[in-house]
Amino acid sequence: MRHHLRIVSIVSVTALAVFAAGAILGLRETPPVVRTAGAAPAAAPADRQAQAIARAQDRLRELPRDHQTWAALGVAYVERARITADPSLYPRAEGALERSLAVRDNPDALVGLGALANARHDFAAARTYATRALRTNAYDANAFGVLADALTQLGDRAGATAAIQKMLDLRPGLAAYARASYDLELRGSLDRASSLMEQALAAAADPADIAFCRGQLADLAFSRGDLAGASAHLDAGLAAEPHYQPLLRGRARVLAARGLLAPALADAAKVAARTPTPDTLLEYAQLLRLAGQDPSRQLDLADAAHRVFQANGGRDDLTGAQLALARGDQATAVRLARAEFARRPFPDVADALAQALHQSGQDKAALGYARRAVAAAPSSAAYTWHLAQISLTLGDRSSALVQLRRTRSLNPHFSPADGPTAARALAALEAHR
Amino acid sequence: MTTRRKRTAAALAATGLVLAGAIGGLGPSTSTASSHREAPLIASDPAADNTDLYAFVSPDRPGYVTMIANWIPFEEPNGGPNFYPFATDAAYKINVDSDGDAKADAVFRWTFKNVDKRGNQTFLYNNGPVTSLDDENLLFRQTYTLQSSFDGQPFKTRIKDAPVAPSWTGAASMPNYQTLRDQATVGLPGGWKLYAGQADDPFFLDLRVFDLLYGGDLSGTGQDTLAGYNVNTLALQVPFKDVALKGDAQRNPVIGVWTTTERNRVRITGDSALTNDRVQVSRLGNPLVNEVVVPAGLKDAFNSISPDKDAGIPAVVQRVTDPELPKLIQGIYQIPAPATPRNDLVEIFLTGITTKANGPIKADLNSQLNNKDVRASRFRPSEMLRLNLGVPVAATPNRLGVLGGDLQGFPNGRRLTDDAVDISIQAVEGAAQTGKLVDALAAGDKVDANDQQFGASFPYVALPNMGAVNSNRSPVVATEPPAATGPSASSAPGPVALKPASADQDSSRDRWLIVALSVGAVAVVLFLVVLAWLRRRARV
Repeated sequence: MRHHLRIVSIVSVTALAVFAAGAILGLRETPPVVRTAGAAPAAAPADRQAQAIARAQDRLRELPRDHQTWAALGVAYVERARITADPSLYPRAEGALERSLAVRDNPDALVGLGALANARHDFAAARTYATRALRTNAYDANAFGVLADALTQLGDRAGATAAIQKMLDLRPGLAAYARASYDLELRGSLDRASSLMEQALAAAADPADIAFCRGQLADLAFSRGDLAGASAHLDAGLAAEPHYQPLLRGRARVLAARGLLAPALADAAKVAARTPTPDTLLEYAQLLRLAGQDPSRQLDLADAAHRVFQANGGRDDLTGAQLALARGDQATAVRLARAEFARRPFPDVADALAQALHQSGQDKAALGYARRAVAAAPSSAAYTWHLAQISLTLGDRSSALVQLRRTRSLNPHFSPADGPTAARALAALEAHR
Repeated sequence: MTTRRKRTAAALAATGLVLAGAIGGLGPSTSTASSHREAPLIASDPAADNTDLYAFVSPDRPGYVTMIANWIPFEEPNGGPNFYPFATDAAYKINVDSDGDAKADAVFRWTFKNVDKRGNQTFLYNNGPVTSLDDENLLFRQTYTLQSSFDGQPFKTRIKDAPVAPSWTGAASMPNYQTLRDQATVGLPGGWKLYAGQADDPFFLDLRVFDLLYGGDLSGTGQDTLAGYNVNTLALQVPFKDVALKGDAQRNPVIGVWTTTERNRVRITGDSALTNDRVQVSRLGNPLVNEVVVPAGLKDAFNSISPDKDAGIPAVVQRVTDPELPKLIQGIYQIPAPATPRNDLVEIFLTGITTKANGPIKADLNSQLNNKDVRASRFRPSEMLRLNLGVPVAATPNRLGVLGGDLQGFPNGRRLTDDAVDISIQAVEGAAQTGKLVDALAAGDKVDANDQQFGASFPYVALPNMGAVNSNRSPVVATEPPAATGPSASSAPGPVALKPASADQDSSRDRWLIVALSVGAVAVVLFLVVLAWLRRRARV
């Protein structure tokens, strides 16, 4: 618990500093990547990305007008921010990319700005940047990647699939496979999604990329309710990159699903300390709640982390809505979720809006959004569960029964808190028939 | 009300209660795990990261040509257990066109497999000293299959499960890398020799020559930017007859060489994800061309097409005839950009140097059009590294290659010792239309030789570096500056080849000098192209 006190104070101070200076140095408990010398068993593999960033910085000190290296550095910062979940890198990425563009208009910098906009959840801007880059270079696989990410979130499924196929045709490899896998997953083809992710894993070279692929494979296994398969991928991923937080998150989720709450809490605490994002803190809070402990400190931290994200140029009303729901502030949750849904009618957002409406008693309004989420992402057990809840409240037991059965067959372990509830509800309804 | 109904009502009530409890708690289970998934965008892709191609007549083995292709620049020898595997989901190819139709007549294809005994318990590649390639302490290694195809025939497997020399993981782990190198150097029937594994990056230069293009100067150069780094090398040595047109290198001495890497095409629409269709993810031939001759907006397209399509893309040809970089240089150094259209460049980059394609360079050096059995009507301009196998091996190779009077060197093929940067800079000296040297360029990048001594026999590349790259920039194995590869390699030679060849004497040496002179006329642009190519090397 000492961790958490420390983090509370650090985050509070830091959040202030962020508003003043736009940086959050010191937020992290430990550096996300620890390099140790020699070949001791704990030695981490070389961090090629960190090396590339250092080389680019050295070079730019001598050649401040090298627009290509500025663009590459900006993109590397965006990737770094993704791996470390550290939004304080966003302004640095933006600075490098703007610098590149100031020297010379070039598609690499535009792609970087698009990736940055996606990371900050400004998907419309990302679409614009990618389109501009493609006007100069119609064969730019990275630009298609940025475009695909943006279109996916903006709800243009056909456009996203087409962009991903272009990416696959131009540059088959990890980045394209990962997007293709996600596209298939959203369409409910979990098996094909997994086999493409296996292919991405075969193409992965850097430990962080291997870890990413293992994490996705674990998520795919988990979303099918395959806890053993998820566990195996997580262990293999952690062997490749012990510091990759999403793997620890996944492990906490699997442990909780198995009812092993104490080790799950330990993992979740570690993740929340190392990468204090709203997501990780909310997950930790949820587990604390499940264990009968007070989650309010984690919710405070999650609020602070959300403010940090926004202070670094991000906009994410989905997270805002989830934080408001966790606080019991349904009105705010509905307002934020509506705002987010207007910008991007993505299944997650539809689901969150449905939940916000449901909890503020507007189940009739909620029903359409919940159905929409289930239709757009048919393999999510959480969405079918949420639809079942709304149906039950509206008195539509037969529909609730259908959705609860789907929940069970998709993934009975989808949530350590809601999974058992859903099982009990299903048992009750089936007993009634 | 029946008992059953009572029970149901109670159950439902209970259900409702439970649901209410969940709702009143922390809120819904967030589905953030799948929310806005952020996938890698710029993942390292070793298969696509090809850096350099070399092709030369083997100095120690007459009648055999050596081709060396490198992938993955900036491999660090220090800082823990680094391992740089070849991609297992890609095919690596060296392609040879001997009849000039821009399609491969000989293809050598490598595919790799992992032999991974680590399980999920460790990411270390060895758990004790490795003294041989089959040492049980070596937990991770790779093997490869080499297949070849000639004249469009189906691929035949030449060797399976051939060993790859591992990445060097430390002095305690691999006390004698030469042993591993030797075990990974394989001989095949027909006189072929193969090597796959790590090596010192043979390319030597100071990347800071880029200062020129960004308003800097050359005052800070002189350091081999790639010193201390390693690469993954595929080396192949085959008899001339296996690559020359009709197997006759006497009549048909010119070959064009390029490397490609490929992956299977994947579809996410339709039924089947995997197809037998292949996608070319990178291509490298004459290294000068890839980034510069091709417009920025087409560079990715260029990486994905085969050479026979080069001439069909008007934008590429337009870019060759009207290059951008001379204009940039003009802005910096006031060297007037040569008049366009640059048909000389078309000759350099797309046809090889020949008198048979109506180009302005009046010399015959390295175009397939000079092969006696080529059908000129089928010749197709395309970008590749062209090598005349008939040029005799130089007794003392000149690092300045053709422009130093040594016609066995770059841009006639490329040897490990050829100084690609300074060749171009010296060419500027002899060939600039003003006749004046740009002082800032005179010394080139001041890096005249590689930091490691190249070997005298196959696979020629130096052993991997074993010291820390960034600590002091003096790798462990480089105990003293390498000996010059020839008397002219370290002294700044007068541009011998660029003196007017006053008389057309009958020695073949003078004939080649005329070739060199002609080549010099376009060397300004070569220089510019090198700069841009280097920018590619320097990318993050």
